Amino acid sequence: MTGPDAPAALRATGLGFRYRARGGWALRDCEFTVPSGRITALVGRNGAGKSTLLHLAGGHLRPGTGELRVLDAVPGTPDARTRVSLLTQDKPLYPRFTVADTLRMGEKLNSTWDRAAAEQIVREGGIPLAARVGELSPGHSTRVALALALGKRPELLLLDEPMADLDPVARGEIMATLMTEAAEHGTSIVLSSHVLPELEQTCDWVLLLRDGRVELSEDVEALRESHAVLTGRADQDDTLTAPHTVVRRRASGRQMTTLIRQRGPLRGDWHVERPRLEDILSGYLAAGDTVRPADAKRTEAAA
Amino acid sequence: MNGSPRPGSPRPGSPRYGSPRYGTLWNGSLWLAWRQQRVLVGIGAAVLATAAAIAAYSRSGMLDALRSGLFDHCDPGPLSCTQSDTGLPLLLDIEPLTYLGTLNIALPVIIGVFWGAPLLGRDRELGTHRMVLAQGVSRGQWFASRFALAAVTTVVLSGLLAGVFAWWWRPAADRSFGLFWYETTALSGSGPRVVAAALFGLAAGTLLGLLTRRVLEAMGLTVLVTAATTLLLEWTHKTRLLVPPHTYTSAGSIPKPPMGEKWSTGDYGLITASGRRDDVMNCPFPSGAQLKECMTQHGYVARFYEANPAGDYWTFQWIDTAVLGGLALLLTAVTVLLLRRRI
Repeated sequence: MTGPDAPAALRATGLGFRYRARGGWALRDCEFTVPSGRITALVGRNGAGKSTLLHLAGGHLRPGTGELRVLDAVPGTPDARTRVSLLTQDKPLYPRFTVADTLRMGEKLNSTWDRAAAEQIVREGGIPLAARVGELSPGHSTRVALALALGKRPELLLLDEPMADLDPVARGEIMATLMTEAAEHGTSIVLSSHVLPELEQTCDWVLLLRDGRVELSEDVEALRESHAVLTGRADQDDTLTAPHTVVRRRASGRQMTTLIRQRGPLRGDWHVERPRLEDILSGYLAAGDTVRPADAKRTEAAA
Repeated sequence: MNGSPRPGSPRPGSPRYGSPRYGTLWNGSLWLAWRQQRVLVGIGAAVLATAAAIAAYSRSGMLDALRSGLFDHCDPGPLSCTQSDTGLPLLLDIEPLTYLGTLNIALPVIIGVFWGAPLLGRDRELGTHRMVLAQGVSRGQWFASRFALAAVTTVVLSGLLAGVFAWWWRPAADRSFGLFWYETTALSGSGPRVVAAALFGLAAGTLLGLLTRRVLEAMGLTVLVTAATTLLLEWTHKTRLLVPPHTYTSAGSIPKPPMGEKWSTGDYGLITASGRRDDVMNCPFPSGAQLKECMTQHGYVARFYEANPAGDYWTFQWIDTAVLGGLALLLTAVTVLLLRRRI
């Protein structure tokens, strides 16, 4: 499903959304394509529009302007519902259902259901099927919610901060489950997270939102190759002019550390390092309004 | 894992686009509705069984009392007849029957609060509608299946309760020792209006559960709305606003037509030759020469009273049924329209 003919996992054109008719835009002028078969990190600060985007993709909200397509389908249509799974941040489940009831509900409410896979995800967590969902630990209930999301064998899995309330061990386990799913079935995954190191090892596409606009939508490897962390004397700042873009600049005394998107050879005396994904993302997230708006357009064009 | 796109293995099984199993999904959403409402259905069935058992017991006692011949000498009409030896009024034990009538009147409040308000409100409060809608079922299926189950159960439950009341009431209906059609527990606690009122309660609770995010808040508002509507309809009964009373006149001082089963408005008096109606206190005499003399003296030519005949029971019933049923339909339509925006 990852050939050139494969539909994009997510495609937005002129996408905008606001919660109230006269309120501020939660998302605005979003234009991006996430190829299928990728594990995408959806990154942004609080209020950047990550959850809004995922809810739009899940069909819970309708775009105010423009359009969003999931696997070329309109979110919320029967076709999209069959092929897309969304796990929202609060991971709601019926507290009085047992785990077995919850999985049974998944089987009843979906036209395709992989019972073995769903039960295996639950069993791997050591969760008794007779336990009431309301009495499970956060890690266990996340696992049950994930079993519900994966049991329908989605082609696209949308996860809104799935790991937020989990301990590191549970996090690792759930991430491993997701990776296995993606590797075995070619499932496209879009997951929003604040834990940047976690994304480093798992994601191969980045979608970065800032204030409701898309700042990056790029392959991770391409992103790392096009960016550089420069360390050197602060007085050679003037060498970092166009075509390079300075993402973030940190000065300490006469020393300066800069994250740039590099285009062409560098001038000046710099110690150059290949950044980790985490460095790039935190650079973009922490950057002030300096990058926008002109430069943001450039990064998008590069993407 | 980093870097170039991972080779995606082809999906097992055939492509699934095109023909989702709609029928199966309907079954699935009905299964969920049943799974969540089975306790309520059980409680409803238990209440109905209890009411039926008490009715059967009490009604047979009522029939025994009537067969004893004790009530044979009682005249039709609103005045209680008395026991020949003690002079105490003769009455059937209709207290349990009036309790059932009261329950039937309170049905819209009870069903609205415990069935309507949580129907969508519980999911809204827990956010679980998002989990359900992230599965294969559509918003419409989700709402329709749970509302249909609740509505069907409400109709069956309220219909049978109204039926039990009618069956129980029949031997004691419209007798001085029983329950007249116009008494509140009979007029509002029996007949089709009970079903319409219960559906109205369900629809009001459902809409309020959708509008408020919290079940408790929805329950509180449902009590207010359903109780206010019920009381408002009672007020229209008492004032005969929607079913105007008939005026019964009798010329001169001849005896008035007997009240019988009619529901008096308490409005009676004297009429002059020009048709003016005066208070009865102008000639406060029951009958006879005094009355005749007084009427002649004041120029009164007839006497009158206002009352609804027994047949108006059905007029009251159908008007209530139309009002409450119409409200139920309206609120359900509003719920369906808001569903797309709110959830």
